[in-house]
Amino acid sequence: MLSSKLSANRIALAITFILLLVIPHIASSYIVYVVILAILFSMLSASYDLLTGYAGPLSFCHAAFYGLGAYTSALLTLKTGMSFWLALPISGMSVFLFGAVIGYPALKLRGHYFAVTTFFFGHFMYLVFLNTRELTGGPLGLGGIQPPESIFGIDFSGMTANYYLILIFGILMVGFLYALVNSGFGRLIVSIRENEDLAEAVGVNTAFFKVLAFSISAGLAGITGSLFAHFFRLLHPSTFSWMTSEMIVVMVLVGGAGTLVGPIIGAGVVTFILEMMRFAPELRFVIWAILLIAILVIEPRGLAGIYARIRGGK
Amino acid sequence: MQLGSGLIIGSVYALVALGLNIIWSITDIPDFAQGSFYVIAAYAGYFAVTLAGVPFPVALLLGMCVGAIMAFSCERFLYRRWRERTFRAAARVQLLVAIALFFLFANAANAIWTSKAKIFPAYMKGSLLGLSYMRINVFLAAIVLFILVYLFIMKTKPGKAIRAASMDVGMAQVLGINIDTVNSIVFAMGGALSGAAAVLVSPLYSVFPTMGDLPLLKALVVVILGGFGSVSGVLICGLGLGVAEAFGATYISSAYQHGFAFFVLILTLLLRPKGLFGRV
Repeated sequence: MLSSKLSANRIALAITFILLLVIPHIASSYIVYVVILAILFSMLSASYDLLTGYAGPLSFCHAAFYGLGAYTSALLTLKTGMSFWLALPISGMSVFLFGAVIGYPALKLRGHYFAVTTFFFGHFMYLVFLNTRELTGGPLGLGGIQPPESIFGIDFSGMTANYYLILIFGILMVGFLYALVNSGFGRLIVSIRENEDLAEAVGVNTAFFKVLAFSISAGLAGITGSLFAHFFRLLHPSTFSWMTSEMIVVMVLVGGAGTLVGPIIGAGVVTFILEMMRFAPELRFVIWAILLIAILVIEPRGLAGIYARIRGGK
Repeated sequence: MQLGSGLIIGSVYALVALGLNIIWSITDIPDFAQGSFYVIAAYAGYFAVTLAGVPFPVALLLGMCVGAIMAFSCERFLYRRWRERTFRAAARVQLLVAIALFFLFANAANAIWTSKAKIFPAYMKGSLLGLSYMRINVFLAAIVLFILVYLFIMKTKPGKAIRAASMDVGMAQVLGINIDTVNSIVFAMGGALSGAAAVLVSPLYSVFPTMGDLPLLKALVVVILGGFGSVSGVLICGLGLGVAEAFGATYISSAYQHGFAFFVLILTLLLRPKGLFGRV
């Protein structure tokens, strides 16, 4: 029974992987665009899951780190003429460090206090993006961002090359997170989630590991932001508002926090549902919210619970 | 002048925060949906005045009723399902539903009434010390509502049940308090307070679908600053935040007016992790 489940999962994974590989060659450019968005949101959700799913604290500012990475990378390339391939790791590192600076005081708070503080930090960063006009262009947006420079003779001005670039980064990031949560570090942060006081009592430096999980999660969001900036080439503060942060929270919680694969599926499903409803832009979020509530009423554990039911029913 | 307008916007924060605080301290739900009840109540008040031509106090009462009914129904038909916490993530499901409800009603308002701001007709002319009577009324009404809530919680029997439940829900149930009733009361009360705040402030600004965002954000901060379960703490912090913002906007930077709360929050929590007036 167990082995058949495992192999079914493997087959599903293989099919998904092959589909992801061939999509640019079989689908319209609009579909490819949506899949790119889905991959970017999967990266955000997976990195968010490291903090909220594995280490525990519920945060509401992931989009702020996403935006910070995007603006850092865009401004580095625009103002200093730096190459994208250098700007990407630099923006990731700087968001990582920034995450540590914010996480250190904020993670002294627990539960709702932490959640509301991050909520406000997210809103504050949105105001910064909106109001530092000389840098970010404010409400007019920041345009003129160049695509990644060509490397190994691959030109990144088209959709397909960008697709594979983002897909590779997505796979690398998920692989990294998978290795991380299955390492000693992963077990340490899960022990913090399960019982912080006990973890501290047996000698885990909980403050340090929580801040580390927060910063890694932020840094990965920064890298995702950098990829987004050079793919979309136009940045607007509203992309990184608290709505986006909440969307990521919803993707992760609906998909199943603390499973890594759940948030990725959640991100894919939510992105596609929202795109499918482009025909009714006014009603998009209304329908979406009703769907979300309906899912939770039927199966409070979200997609992971529905999946478990289907498996169990067989 | 800054003091006056600060106190007025602060009264709005305090009213929304009071409902949030009571709900939060009893049910452990940060009820984001209050921000959208605020919006719907404002529209209800607006249509009551413009279409039905009712006097302002009636519109105010109507707004409070709309808020109360919406909050009551959301608790009764949604949040209550997951109260028993039969699985680990139940608290997060309630949070998700709160977020979804906020999206739902705020976007429904946008879809039905469009994002164009509607001008709420003035119901009173004249001013005192440079502040129009309508502004002063917001402040006075907030004080009256706070006194009513305070008396209700401290002096009546249901109020006593609410206080007991906010200390320990399980123990309150053991002692024979019907927690369903308590939840219904606090949600209805929270909705009514949000509705009151919305209709009171509408004639000063205008009515639009995203009008609930900032009051909700600020109210969340006020709840944390004021400390859970403290009525006077919420009032003082709400007014304080409003005044701080008004002065900050004039003397520091108006662009970051809505960001000051963040610094106030970080500073306060670092110095007093349980809020300024926290009980625990």
